[in-house]
Amino acid sequence: MTQSKELYDAILNGDAKKAYAVTQAAIDRGLAPMTLISESMVPAMDEVGRLFEAEEYFVPELLLAGRAMKSSMELLRPLMISSGQKFSTRVVIGTVKGDLHDIGKNIVASMLEGGGFEVIDLGADVAPEKFVAAVEERKPQIVCMSALLTVTMPAMKTTIDALASAGLRTKVKVLIGGAPVTSQYAKEIGADGYSENASGAVSLVKNLLAVA
Amino acid sequence: MNRQFYLDLAAAGLRMPIGTDLILHAESKPEEVRNDGAALGRVVERAARRWHTPLAVPLMDLRLEKIDLLALTGISAQEAEGYHFTAPMDEDTLTKLCGAQTVGGCPGSCARDEALRYVATKEDLVPVGMTIGPFSLTTRLLADPITVTALAGMGISWEDSEDVQLLWQCVRISEAAVLRSIRSQIAHGARAMMICEPTACTAFISPRQLKAGSDLFERLVMGPNLRLKAMLEEAGCDLIFHDCGELIDPMVKAFAHRLHPVILSLGNSRKLWEDARLVPKDVVLYGNLPSKSFYSDGAMPVEEVIGRTGELITRMEECGHPLIVGSECDVLFVPEASDRIWKKVDAMISVKLCSDRNGGTGCQAAAETATEFAAG
Repeated sequence: MTQSKELYDAILNGDAKKAYAVTQAAIDRGLAPMTLISESMVPAMDEVGRLFEAEEYFVPELLLAGRAMKSSMELLRPLMISSGQKFSTRVVIGTVKGDLHDIGKNIVASMLEGGGFEVIDLGADVAPEKFVAAVEERKPQIVCMSALLTVTMPAMKTTIDALASAGLRTKVKVLIGGAPVTSQYAKEIGADGYSENASGAVSLVKNLLAVA
Repeated sequence: MNRQFYLDLAAAGLRMPIGTDLILHAESKPEEVRNDGAALGRVVERAARRWHTPLAVPLMDLRLEKIDLLALTGISAQEAEGYHFTAPMDEDTLTKLCGAQTVGGCPGSCARDEALRYVATKEDLVPVGMTIGPFSLTTRLLADPITVTALAGMGISWEDSEDVQLLWQCVRISEAAVLRSIRSQIAHGARAMMICEPTACTAFISPRQLKAGSDLFERLVMGPNLRLKAMLEEAGCDLIFHDCGELIDPMVKAFAHRLHPVILSLGNSRKLWEDARLVPKDVVLYGNLPSKSFYSDGAMPVEEVIGRTGELITRMEECGHPLIVGSECDVLFVPEASDRIWKKVDAMISVKLCSDRNGGTGCQAAAETATEFAAG
Protein backbone atom coordinates (compact mmCIF):
# COMPACT_ATOMS: atom_id res chain seq x y z
CA MET A 1 0.00 0.00 0.00
CA THR A 2 1.42 3.39 -0.91
CA GLN A 3 1.94 5.91 1.80
CA SER A 4 -0.61 8.14 0.12
CA LYS A 5 -3.27 5.44 0.52
CA GLU A 6 -2.15 4.67 4.08
CA LEU A 7 -2.46 8.31 5.07
CA TYR A 8 -5.80 8.59 3.28
CA ASP A 9 -7.09 5.57 5.22
CA ALA A 10 -5.67 6.80 8.53
CA ILE A 11 -7.50 10.11 8.15
CA LEU A 12 -10.69 8.48 6.98
CA ASN A 13 -10.60 6.13 9.97
CA GLY A 14 -9.75 8.91 12.41
CA ASP A 15 -6.49 7.27 13.45
CA ALA A 16 -4.27 10.16 14.50
CA LYS A 17 -1.35 7.98 15.59
CA LYS A 18 -1.30 6.15 12.29
CA ALA A 19 -1.60 9.40 10.34
CA TYR A 20 1.38 10.83 12.21
CA ALA A 21 3.48 7.70 11.71
CA VAL A 22 2.69 7.42 8.02
CA THR A 23 3.39 11.10 7.46
CA GLN A 24 6.75 10.82 9.20
CA ALA A 25 7.64 7.80 7.07
CA ALA A 26 6.65 9.70 3.93
CA ILE A 27 8.77 12.70 4.92
CA ASP A 28 11.71 10.38 5.63
CA ARG A 29 11.32 9.02 2.10
CA GLY A 30 11.43 12.54 0.67
CA LEU A 31 7.78 12.91 -0.30
CA ALA A 32 6.82 16.56 -0.78
CA PRO A 33 4.30 17.98 1.74
CA MET A 34 2.02 19.33 -0.97
CA THR A 35 1.92 15.88 -2.55
CA LEU A 36 0.68 14.37 0.68
CA ILE A 37 -1.83 17.16 1.11
CA SER A 38 -3.17 16.99 -2.42
CA GLU A 39 -3.05 13.21 -2.89
CA SER A 40 -4.07 12.04 0.57
CA MET A 41 -5.38 14.65 2.91
CA VAL A 42 -7.67 16.67 0.71
CA PRO A 43 -9.25 13.57 -0.88
CA ALA A 44 -9.63 11.97 2.53
CA MET A 45 -11.43 14.99 3.96
CA ASP A 46 -13.52 15.26 0.81
CA GLU A 47 -14.59 11.65 1.36
CA VAL A 48 -15.25 12.38 5.05
CA GLY A 49 -17.49 15.23 3.95
CA ARG A 50 -19.29 13.00 1.45
CA LEU A 51 -19.88 10.33 4.08
CA PHE A 52 -21.21 12.99 6.44
CA GLU A 53 -23.64 14.25 3.82
CA ALA A 54 -24.70 10.65 3.24
CA GLU A 55 -25.34 10.31 6.99
CA GLU A 56 -22.84 7.49 7.28
CA TYR A 57 -20.41 9.63 9.20
CA PHE A 58 -21.45 11.91 12.01
CA VAL A 59 -19.88 14.82 13.84
CA PRO A 60 -17.64 12.54 15.97
CA GLU A 61 -16.19 10.99 12.82
CA LEU A 62 -15.60 14.46 11.36
CA LEU A 63 -13.66 15.47 14.43
CA LEU A 64 -11.62 12.28 14.58
CA ALA A 65 -10.69 12.70 10.91
CA GLY A 66 -9.82 16.34 11.53
CA ARG A 67 -7.67 15.30 14.47
CA ALA A 68 -5.85 12.75 12.35
CA MET A 69 -5.32 15.33 9.64
CA LYS A 70 -3.99 17.84 12.16
CA SER A 71 -1.50 15.34 13.52
CA SER A 72 -0.18 14.95 9.99
CA MET A 73 -0.09 18.73 9.49
CA GLU A 74 2.00 19.09 12.67
CA LEU A 75 4.82 17.49 10.70
CA LEU A 76 4.10 19.11 7.34
CA ARG A 77 3.50 22.72 8.32
CA PRO A 78 7.07 23.46 9.52
CA LEU A 79 8.44 21.95 6.30
CA MET A 80 6.14 24.07 4.19
CA ILE A 81 7.04 27.24 6.07
CA SER A 82 10.76 26.57 5.81
CA SER A 83 10.53 25.93 2.09
CA GLY A 84 8.41 29.07 1.53
CA GLN A 85 5.38 27.16 0.31
CA LYS A 86 2.08 28.89 0.78
CA PHE A 87 -1.48 27.76 1.06
CA SER A 88 -3.73 28.97 -1.70
CA THR A 89 -6.29 30.50 0.61
CA ARG A 90 -6.27 31.91 4.10
CA VAL A 91 -9.34 31.78 6.31
CA VAL A 92 -9.95 33.62 9.57
CA ILE A 93 -12.54 31.92 11.74
CA GLY A 94 -14.09 32.60 15.11
CA THR A 95 -17.19 32.44 17.26
CA VAL A 96 -18.66 35.89 17.71
CA LYS A 97 -18.60 38.16 20.73
CA GLY A 98 -20.58 36.92 23.70
CA ASP A 99 -20.72 33.33 22.50
CA LEU A 100 -18.45 30.69 24.02
CA HIS A 101 -19.62 27.79 21.88
CA ASP A 102 -16.80 26.59 19.70
CA ILE A 103 -17.45 22.99 18.78
CA GLY A 104 -19.08 23.78 15.46
CA LYS A 105 -16.44 26.35 14.67
CA ASN A 106 -13.70 23.83 15.48
CA ILE A 107 -15.24 21.29 13.15
CA VAL A 108 -15.39 23.83 10.32
CA ALA A 109 -11.78 24.84 11.00
CA SER A 110 -10.73 21.18 10.79
CA MET A 111 -12.62 20.62 7.57
CA LEU A 112 -11.15 23.77 6.02
CA GLU A 113 -7.63 22.71 6.97
CA GLY A 114 -8.37 19.34 5.51
CA GLY A 115 -9.57 21.09 2.39
CA GLY A 116 -6.09 22.57 1.98
CA PHE A 117 -6.77 26.03 3.37
CA GLU A 118 -4.69 27.92 5.91
CA VAL A 119 -6.87 28.57 8.92
CA ILE A 120 -6.34 31.24 11.55
CA ASP A 121 -8.60 30.37 14.46
CA LEU A 122 -9.42 33.34 16.68
CA GLY A 123 -11.29 31.18 19.17
CA ALA A 124 -14.59 32.02 20.82
CA ASP A 125 -16.09 35.24 22.14
CA VAL A 126 -14.29 37.23 19.45
CA ALA A 127 -14.99 40.92 19.41
CA PRO A 128 -15.58 42.66 16.09
CA GLU A 129 -12.37 44.64 16.49
CA LYS A 130 -10.43 41.41 16.83
CA PHE A 131 -11.86 40.13 13.56
CA VAL A 132 -10.94 43.47 11.96
CA ALA A 133 -7.41 43.31 13.35
CA ALA A 134 -6.97 39.76 12.06
CA VAL A 135 -8.12 40.76 8.59
CA GLU A 136 -5.80 43.77 8.57
CA GLU A 137 -2.83 41.77 9.75
CA ARG A 138 -3.27 38.40 8.07
CA LYS A 139 -5.11 39.44 4.91
CA PRO A 140 -7.34 36.39 4.54
CA GLN A 141 -9.61 35.83 1.60
CA ILE A 142 -12.36 34.44 3.79
CA VAL A 143 -13.79 35.29 7.21
CA CYS A 144 -16.00 32.67 8.87
CA MET A 145 -18.19 33.53 11.85
CA SER A 146 -20.08 31.14 14.06
CA ALA A 147 -22.86 31.75 16.61
CA LEU A 148 -24.90 29.21 18.49
CA LEU A 149 -27.37 31.48 20.24
CA THR A 150 -30.00 33.78 18.80
CA VAL A 151 -28.91 36.39 21.33
CA THR A 152 -25.33 36.41 20.02
CA MET A 153 -26.16 36.35 16.32
CA PRO A 154 -26.43 40.16 16.11
CA ALA A 155 -22.68 40.27 16.73
CA MET A 156 -22.28 38.86 13.22
CA LYS A 157 -23.81 42.00 11.74
CA THR A 158 -21.79 44.17 14.10
CA THR A 159 -18.63 42.47 12.87
CA ILE A 160 -19.59 42.89 9.21
CA ASP A 161 -20.29 46.56 9.88
CA ALA A 162 -16.92 46.88 11.64
CA LEU A 163 -15.18 45.40 8.59
CA ALA A 164 -16.98 47.92 6.40
CA SER A 165 -16.06 50.83 8.67
CA ALA A 166 -12.42 49.74 8.49
CA GLY A 167 -12.57 49.69 4.71
CA LEU A 168 -12.03 45.93 4.65
CA ARG A 169 -15.44 44.57 3.73
CA THR A 170 -14.76 44.33 0.03
CA LYS A 171 -11.44 42.60 0.62
CA VAL A 172 -12.94 39.47 2.15
CA LYS A 173 -15.81 37.08 1.69
CA VAL A 174 -17.80 36.60 4.89
CA LEU A 175 -19.45 33.31 5.67
CA ILE A 176 -21.64 32.59 8.66
CA GLY A 177 -22.96 29.50 10.34
CA GLY A 178 -24.29 28.02 13.55
CA ALA A 179 -27.42 26.29 14.75
CA PRO A 180 -29.85 29.24 14.70
CA VAL A 181 -28.36 30.86 11.59
CA THR A 182 -30.20 30.72 8.28
CA SER A 183 -29.46 31.69 4.70
CA GLN A 184 -32.13 34.36 5.04
CA TYR A 185 -30.28 35.87 8.00
CA ALA A 186 -27.06 35.78 6.04
CA LYS A 187 -28.69 37.84 3.30
CA GLU A 188 -30.23 40.23 5.81
CA ILE A 189 -26.91 41.11 7.39
CA GLY A 190 -24.91 41.26 4.19
CA ALA A 191 -22.86 38.08 4.56
CA ASP A 192 -21.61 36.45 1.37
CA GLY A 193 -22.67 32.98 2.31
CA TYR A 194 -24.11 30.63 4.84
CA SER A 195 -23.49 26.97 5.47
CA GLU A 196 -25.73 24.59 7.30
CA ASN A 197 -22.86 22.32 8.25
CA ALA A 198 -19.11 21.91 8.29
CA SER A 199 -18.65 19.99 5.07
CA GLY A 200 -20.87 22.48 3.30
CA ALA A 201 -18.58 25.24 4.51
CA VAL A 202 -15.66 23.82 2.55
CA SER A 203 -17.68 23.61 -0.68
CA LEU A 204 -18.97 27.12 -0.08
CA VAL A 205 -15.47 28.52 0.35
CA LYS A 206 -14.35 26.85 -2.85
CA ASN A 207 -17.38 28.18 -4.73
CA LEU A 208 -16.91 31.71 -3.42
CA LEU A 209 -13.26 31.68 -4.42
CA ALA A 210 -14.15 30.43 -7.86
CA VAL A 211 -16.38 33.42 -8.51
CA ALA A 212 -14.17 35.95 -6.71
CA MET B 1 -45.98 9.45 39.89
CA ASN B 2 -49.19 11.11 38.81
CA ARG B 3 -48.99 10.16 35.17
CA GLN B 4 -52.70 10.57 34.54
CA PHE B 5 -52.46 14.26 35.41
CA TYR B 6 -50.18 14.85 32.42
CA LEU B 7 -52.24 12.65 30.13
CA ASP B 8 -55.29 14.70 31.09
CA LEU B 9 -53.44 17.92 30.24
CA ALA B 10 -52.66 16.52 26.80
CA ALA B 11 -56.24 15.34 26.33
CA ALA B 12 -57.48 18.82 27.19
CA GLY B 13 -55.39 20.24 24.35
CA LEU B 14 -52.84 22.16 26.42
CA ARG B 15 -50.39 24.28 24.45
CA MET B 16 -47.51 26.08 26.09
CA PRO B 17 -44.01 27.18 25.14
CA ILE B 18 -40.96 26.88 27.38
CA GLY B 19 -41.30 30.61 27.57
CA THR B 20 -40.29 31.90 30.99
CA ASP B 21 -37.39 33.86 29.49
CA LEU B 22 -39.86 35.88 27.42
CA ILE B 23 -41.87 36.74 30.53
CA LEU B 24 -38.69 37.57 32.45
CA HIS B 25 -37.71 40.12 29.82
CA ALA B 26 -41.01 41.89 30.18
CA GLU B 27 -39.66 43.00 33.56
CA SER B 28 -37.97 46.40 33.71
CA LYS B 29 -34.80 44.90 35.24
CA PRO B 30 -34.69 41.27 34.16
CA GLU B 31 -31.13 40.61 35.26
CA GLU B 32 -31.98 41.67 38.81
CA VAL B 33 -35.08 39.52 38.82
CA ARG B 34 -33.03 36.54 37.62
CA ASN B 35 -31.21 36.46 40.96
CA ASP B 36 -34.16 37.47 43.17
CA GLY B 37 -36.01 34.32 44.18
CA ALA B 38 -39.31 35.91 45.11
CA ALA B 39 -39.43 38.08 42.00
CA LEU B 40 -38.37 35.16 39.84
CA GLY B 41 -41.08 33.03 41.39
CA ARG B 42 -43.65 35.63 40.36
CA VAL B 43 -42.25 35.55 36.81
CA VAL B 44 -42.56 31.76 36.69
CA GLU B 45 -46.13 32.04 37.98
CA ARG B 46 -46.92 34.73 35.43
CA ALA B 47 -45.60 32.53 32.64
CA ALA B 48 -47.80 29.64 33.74
CA ARG B 49 -50.86 31.86 33.92
CA ARG B 50 -50.04 33.55 30.61
CA TRP B 51 -50.35 30.20 28.89
CA HIS B 52 -53.07 28.75 31.13
CA THR B 53 -50.98 25.84 32.27
CA PRO B 54 -50.59 24.31 35.70
CA LEU B 55 -46.96 23.50 34.83
CA ALA B 56 -44.86 26.30 36.27
CA VAL B 57 -41.70 25.85 34.22
CA PRO B 58 -38.61 27.72 35.45
CA LEU B 59 -35.99 29.61 33.50
CA MET B 60 -33.94 27.23 31.41
CA ASP B 61 -30.56 28.21 32.84
CA LEU B 62 -28.34 25.21 32.26
CA ARG B 63 -25.23 26.95 33.62
CA LEU B 64 -26.10 26.70 37.26
CA GLU B 65 -24.95 23.18 38.03
CA LYS B 66 -21.54 23.83 36.43
CA ILE B 67 -21.11 27.04 38.41
CA ASP B 68 -22.00 25.32 41.69
CA LEU B 69 -19.79 22.31 40.92
CA LEU B 70 -16.73 24.39 40.08
CA ALA B 71 -17.27 26.58 43.15
CA LEU B 72 -16.21 23.51 45.13
CA THR B 73 -12.77 23.78 43.50
CA GLY B 74 -12.54 27.52 44.04
CA ILE B 75 -13.46 28.54 40.48
CA SER B 76 -15.57 31.71 40.52
CA ALA B 77 -18.91 32.00 38.77
CA GLN B 78 -17.37 34.41 36.27
CA GLU B 79 -14.64 31.94 35.36
CA ALA B 80 -16.94 28.92 35.42
CA GLU B 81 -18.63 29.42 32.06
CA GLY B 82 -15.41 29.17 30.06
CA TYR B 83 -13.61 26.76 32.38
CA HIS B 84 -12.67 23.27 31.27
CA PHE B 85 -10.78 20.54 33.08
CA THR B 86 -7.57 19.78 31.25
CA ALA B 87 -6.06 16.88 33.18
CA PRO B 88 -7.33 13.97 35.27
CA MET B 89 -8.28 14.86 38.83
CA ASP B 90 -6.68 13.35 41.90
CA GLU B 91 -8.73 11.23 44.28
CA ASP B 92 -9.09 13.98 46.85
CA THR B 93 -10.61 16.32 44.28
CA LEU B 94 -12.90 13.59 42.97
CA THR B 95 -14.08 12.78 46.46
CA LYS B 96 -14.75 16.43 47.16
CA LEU B 97 -16.72 16.88 43.95
CA CYS B 98 -18.65 13.63 44.25
CA GLY B 99 -19.16 13.50 47.95
CA ALA B 100 -20.45 16.91 48.97
CA GLN B 101 -24.00 16.53 50.13
CA THR B 102 -24.94 20.16 50.38
CA VAL B 103 -23.51 23.07 48.53
CA GLY B 104 -24.12 26.76 48.94
CA GLY B 105 -25.52 27.64 45.56
CA CYS B 106 -24.67 30.57 43.34
CA PRO B 107 -27.20 33.44 43.21
CA GLY B 108 -28.91 31.86 40.21
CA SER B 109 -29.36 28.51 41.97
CA CYS B 110 -30.61 30.16 45.14
CA ALA B 111 -33.09 32.23 43.16
CA ARG B 112 -34.24 29.14 41.27
CA ASP B 113 -34.86 27.31 44.57
CA GLU B 114 -36.60 30.27 46.21
CA ALA B 115 -38.75 30.66 43.11
CA LEU B 116 -39.80 27.03 43.53
CA ARG B 117 -40.66 27.68 47.14
CA TYR B 118 -42.85 30.59 46.04
CA VAL B 119 -44.60 28.61 43.30
CA ALA B 120 -45.17 25.73 45.71
CA THR B 121 -47.49 28.01 47.68
CA LYS B 122 -49.82 28.24 44.67
CA GLU B 123 -52.13 25.25 44.94
CA ASP B 124 -53.19 25.30 41.30
CA LEU B 125 -49.63 25.19 39.97
CA VAL B 126 -47.11 22.34 39.73
CA PRO B 127 -43.66 23.63 40.66
CA VAL B 128 -41.36 22.22 38.00
CA GLY B 129 -37.63 22.09 38.68
CA MET B 130 -35.01 22.01 36.00
CA THR B 131 -31.46 20.77 35.70
CA ILE B 132 -28.90 20.11 33.05
CA GLY B 133 -28.48 16.38 32.53
CA PRO B 134 -25.34 14.57 33.66
CA PHE B 135 -23.99 13.90 30.17
CA SER B 136 -24.65 17.45 29.00
CA LEU B 137 -22.89 18.78 32.10
CA THR B 138 -19.98 16.45 31.36
CA THR B 139 -19.65 17.98 27.89
CA ARG B 140 -19.46 21.45 29.42
CA LEU B 141 -16.55 20.44 31.64
CA LEU B 142 -14.35 19.43 28.70
CA ALA B 143 -12.79 21.56 25.99
CA ASP B 144 -13.35 18.96 23.26
CA PRO B 145 -16.04 16.61 24.50
CA ILE B 146 -16.95 15.16 21.12
CA THR B 147 -13.45 13.99 20.27
CA VAL B 148 -12.81 12.42 23.66
CA THR B 149 -16.23 10.74 23.58
CA ALA B 150 -15.40 9.41 20.12
CA LEU B 151 -12.05 8.12 21.39
CA ALA B 152 -13.87 6.30 24.18
CA GLY B 153 -16.26 4.97 21.56
CA MET B 154 -13.30 3.59 19.60
CA GLY B 155 -12.51 1.48 22.64
CA ILE B 156 -9.74 3.59 24.08
CA SER B 157 -9.84 3.03 27.82
CA TRP B 158 -8.94 5.37 30.59
CA GLU B 159 -5.79 3.39 31.22
CA ASP B 160 -4.69 4.22 27.67
CA SER B 161 -5.57 7.88 27.61
CA GLU B 162 -5.64 10.66 30.16
CA ASP B 163 -8.30 12.40 28.08
CA VAL B 164 -10.57 9.38 28.33
CA GLN B 165 -9.78 9.05 32.03
CA LEU B 166 -10.85 12.67 32.49
CA LEU B 167 -14.05 12.00 30.55
CA TRP B 168 -15.13 9.25 32.94
CA GLN B 169 -14.19 11.36 35.93
CA CYS B 170 -16.34 14.19 34.60
CA VAL B 171 -19.24 11.78 34.15
CA ARG B 172 -18.97 10.88 37.84
CA ILE B 173 -18.77 14.40 39.15
CA SER B 174 -21.52 15.57 36.80
CA GLU B 175 -23.96 12.95 38.05
CA ALA B 176 -23.18 13.98 41.61
CA ALA B 177 -23.66 17.65 40.79
CA VAL B 178 -27.02 17.05 39.11
CA LEU B 179 -28.12 14.91 42.04
CA ARG B 180 -27.33 17.73 44.45
CA SER B 181 -29.26 20.18 42.30
CA ILE B 182 -32.28 17.90 42.12
CA ARG B 183 -32.25 17.28 45.88
CA SER B 184 -32.13 21.00 46.59
CA GLN B 185 -35.00 21.72 44.20
CA ILE B 186 -37.14 18.95 45.65
CA ALA B 187 -36.43 20.27 49.12
CA HIS B 188 -37.75 23.64 47.93
CA GLY B 189 -40.96 22.17 46.59
CA ALA B 190 -40.36 20.82 43.08
CA ARG B 191 -42.95 18.18 42.20
CA ALA B 192 -41.69 17.58 38.69
CA MET B 193 -38.15 17.77 37.38
CA MET B 194 -37.11 18.58 33.85
CA ILE B 195 -33.77 16.98 33.08
CA CYS B 196 -32.27 18.61 29.99
CA GLU B 197 -29.83 16.56 27.92
CA PRO B 198 -29.33 18.53 24.69
CA THR B 199 -25.96 16.95 23.99
CA ALA B 200 -27.16 13.36 24.38
CA CYS B 201 -27.47 13.29 20.62
CA THR B 202 -25.78 12.24 17.40
CA ALA B 203 -23.52 15.29 17.35
CA PHE B 204 -21.77 13.99 20.46
CA ILE B 205 -22.34 10.24 20.35
CA SER B 206 -21.81 8.61 16.99
CA PRO B 207 -24.57 6.31 15.72
CA ARG B 208 -21.87 4.65 13.66
CA GLN B 209 -20.01 3.69 16.82
CA LEU B 210 -23.21 2.60 18.52
CA LYS B 211 -24.06 0.39 15.54
CA ALA B 212 -20.60 -1.14 15.80
CA GLY B 213 -21.40 -2.20 19.35
CA SER B 214 -20.13 0.65 21.52
CA ASP B 215 -21.86 0.89 24.90
CA LEU B 216 -21.18 4.61 25.15
CA PHE B 217 -24.82 5.67 25.11
CA GLU B 218 -25.57 3.31 27.96
CA ARG B 219 -22.60 4.35 30.10
CA LEU B 220 -22.68 8.08 29.39
CA VAL B 221 -26.39 8.82 29.16
CA MET B 222 -28.74 6.06 30.21
CA GLY B 223 -26.86 4.83 33.27
CA PRO B 224 -26.61 8.19 35.03
CA ASN B 225 -30.13 9.25 34.03
CA LEU B 226 -31.65 5.97 35.19
CA ARG B 227 -30.08 6.49 38.60
CA LEU B 228 -31.50 10.01 38.73
CA LYS B 229 -34.90 8.68 37.69
CA ALA B 230 -34.80 6.19 40.56
CA MET B 231 -34.03 8.99 42.96
CA LEU B 232 -36.91 11.07 41.59
CA GLU B 233 -39.30 8.15 41.93
CA GLU B 234 -38.27 7.63 45.51
CA ALA B 235 -38.93 11.31 46.19
CA GLY B 236 -42.29 11.23 44.43
CA CYS B 237 -41.13 13.76 41.84
CA ASP B 238 -42.22 13.35 38.21
CA LEU B 239 -39.58 13.15 35.47
CA ILE B 240 -39.87 15.37 32.41
CA PHE B 241 -37.05 14.54 29.99
CA HIS B 242 -35.90 17.07 27.41
CA ASP B 243 -33.53 16.46 24.52
CA CYS B 244 -33.71 18.87 21.60
CA GLY B 245 -30.64 17.42 19.85
CA GLU B 246 -30.54 15.28 16.71
CA LEU B 247 -31.46 11.76 17.72
CA ILE B 248 -31.79 8.33 16.21
CA ASP B 249 -34.81 6.14 16.88
CA PRO B 250 -33.11 3.87 19.44
CA MET B 251 -32.26 6.94 21.53
CA VAL B 252 -35.87 8.13 21.51
CA LYS B 253 -37.04 4.63 22.36
CA ALA B 254 -34.59 4.34 25.24
CA PHE B 255 -35.65 7.68 26.71
CA ALA B 256 -39.32 6.85 26.32
CA HIS B 257 -39.33 3.26 27.55
CA ARG B 258 -36.49 3.06 30.03
CA LEU B 259 -36.56 6.54 31.55
CA HIS B 260 -40.33 6.46 31.09
CA PRO B 261 -40.85 10.15 31.84
CA VAL B 262 -44.29 11.65 32.25
CA ILE B 263 -43.41 14.04 29.41
CA LEU B 264 -40.77 13.55 26.69
CA SER B 265 -39.76 16.86 25.10
CA LEU B 266 -38.02 16.65 21.73
CA GLY B 267 -36.47 19.07 19.25
CA ASN B 268 -37.70 20.06 15.83
CA SER B 269 -35.54 17.52 14.00
CA ARG B 270 -38.05 14.86 15.06
CA LYS B 271 -41.51 14.26 13.67
CA LEU B 272 -43.54 13.59 16.78
CA TRP B 273 -46.23 11.63 14.92
CA GLU B 274 -43.53 9.23 13.73
CA ASP B 275 -41.96 9.10 17.19
CA ALA B 276 -45.35 8.15 18.59
CA ARG B 277 -44.74 4.58 17.42
CA LEU B 278 -41.56 4.49 19.53
CA VAL B 279 -43.09 5.95 22.68
CA PRO B 280 -45.48 4.27 25.14
CA LYS B 281 -48.98 5.72 25.09
CA ASP B 282 -48.65 6.83 28.72
CA VAL B 283 -45.74 9.16 27.92
CA VAL B 284 -46.88 12.57 26.75
CA LEU B 285 -44.89 13.97 23.86
CA TYR B 286 -44.12 17.69 24.11
CA GLY B 287 -43.02 20.12 21.47
CA ASN B 288 -41.75 20.70 18.99
CA LEU B 289 -42.31 23.81 16.94
CA PRO B 290 -39.03 25.28 15.59
CA SER B 291 -38.74 28.10 18.11
CA LYS B 292 -34.99 28.52 17.50
CA SER B 293 -35.95 30.10 14.17
CA PHE B 294 -38.76 32.32 15.48
CA TYR B 295 -36.44 35.34 15.48
CA SER B 296 -36.47 35.42 11.67
CA ASP B 297 -39.54 36.08 9.53
CA GLY B 298 -37.51 35.03 6.50
CA ALA B 299 -36.59 31.66 7.93
CA MET B 300 -39.83 31.05 9.79
CA PRO B 301 -42.75 33.26 8.81
CA VAL B 302 -45.79 33.19 11.06
CA GLU B 303 -47.74 31.40 8.31
CA GLU B 304 -45.23 28.57 8.50
CA VAL B 305 -45.59 28.36 12.29
CA ILE B 306 -49.35 28.15 11.91
CA GLY B 307 -49.09 25.52 9.22
CA ARG B 308 -46.68 23.39 11.20
CA THR B 309 -48.76 23.68 14.36
CA GLY B 310 -51.84 22.60 12.46
CA GLU B 311 -50.01 19.69 10.89
CA LEU B 312 -48.63 18.57 14.24
CA ILE B 313 -52.00 18.61 15.95
CA THR B 314 -53.75 16.87 13.05
CA ARG B 315 -51.13 14.16 12.70
CA MET B 316 -50.98 13.50 16.43
CA GLU B 317 -54.76 13.22 16.57
CA GLU B 318 -54.60 10.72 13.72
CA CYS B 319 -52.05 8.55 15.52
CA GLY B 320 -53.81 9.00 18.84
CA HIS B 321 -50.74 9.80 20.90
CA PRO B 322 -50.98 12.30 23.77
CA LEU B 323 -49.40 15.64 22.90
CA ILE B 324 -48.81 18.96 24.58
CA VAL B 325 -48.05 21.45 21.82
CA GLY B 326 -44.99 23.52 22.58
CA SER B 327 -41.61 24.79 21.57
CA GLU B 328 -38.64 22.63 20.66
CA CYS B 329 -36.63 24.28 23.44
CA ASP B 330 -36.47 27.42 25.54
CA VAL B 331 -37.86 30.38 23.60
CA LEU B 332 -35.18 32.97 24.24
CA PHE B 333 -35.85 36.69 24.30
CA VAL B 334 -34.00 38.48 21.49
CA PRO B 335 -34.30 42.27 21.77
CA GLU B 336 -34.26 42.98 18.04
CA ALA B 337 -36.78 40.26 17.32
CA SER B 338 -39.07 40.38 20.33
CA ASP B 339 -42.25 41.23 18.44
CA ARG B 340 -41.59 38.60 15.77
CA ILE B 341 -40.99 35.92 18.40
CA TRP B 342 -44.05 36.79 20.46
CA LYS B 343 -46.23 36.79 17.36
CA LYS B 344 -45.18 33.24 16.55
CA VAL B 345 -45.54 31.99 20.11
CA ASP B 346 -49.06 33.43 20.19
CA ALA B 347 -49.77 31.89 16.80
CA MET B 348 -48.62 28.48 18.00
CA ILE B 349 -50.95 28.73 20.98
CA SER B 350 -53.91 30.08 19.08
CA VAL B 351 -54.12 27.99 15.91
CA LYS B 352 -57.56 26.51 15.59
CA LEU B 353 -58.23 23.59 13.34
CA CYS B 354 -61.39 23.09 11.33
CA SER B 355 -62.48 20.39 13.75
CA ASP B 356 -62.53 23.08 16.43
CA ARG B 357 -64.93 25.20 14.42
CA ASN B 358 -67.17 23.57 11.87
CA GLY B 359 -66.36 19.89 12.23
CA GLY B 360 -64.54 19.79 8.91
CA THR B 361 -61.09 18.42 8.19
CA GLY B 362 -57.75 19.86 7.26
CA CYS B 363 -56.28 23.19 8.17
CA GLN B 364 -58.49 25.69 6.38
CA ALA B 365 -59.00 27.53 9.61
CA ALA B 366 -55.24 27.62 10.02
CA ALA B 367 -55.08 29.61 6.80
CA GLU B 368 -57.66 32.03 8.16
CA THR B 369 -55.63 32.46 11.32
CA ALA B 370 -52.57 33.06 9.19
CA THR B 371 -54.36 35.92 7.48
CA GLU B 372 -55.27 37.39 10.86
CA PHE B 373 -51.72 37.18 12.11
CA ALA B 374 -50.25 38.51 8.89
CA ALA B 375 -52.55 41.50 9.13
CA GLY B 376 -51.60 42.00 12.80
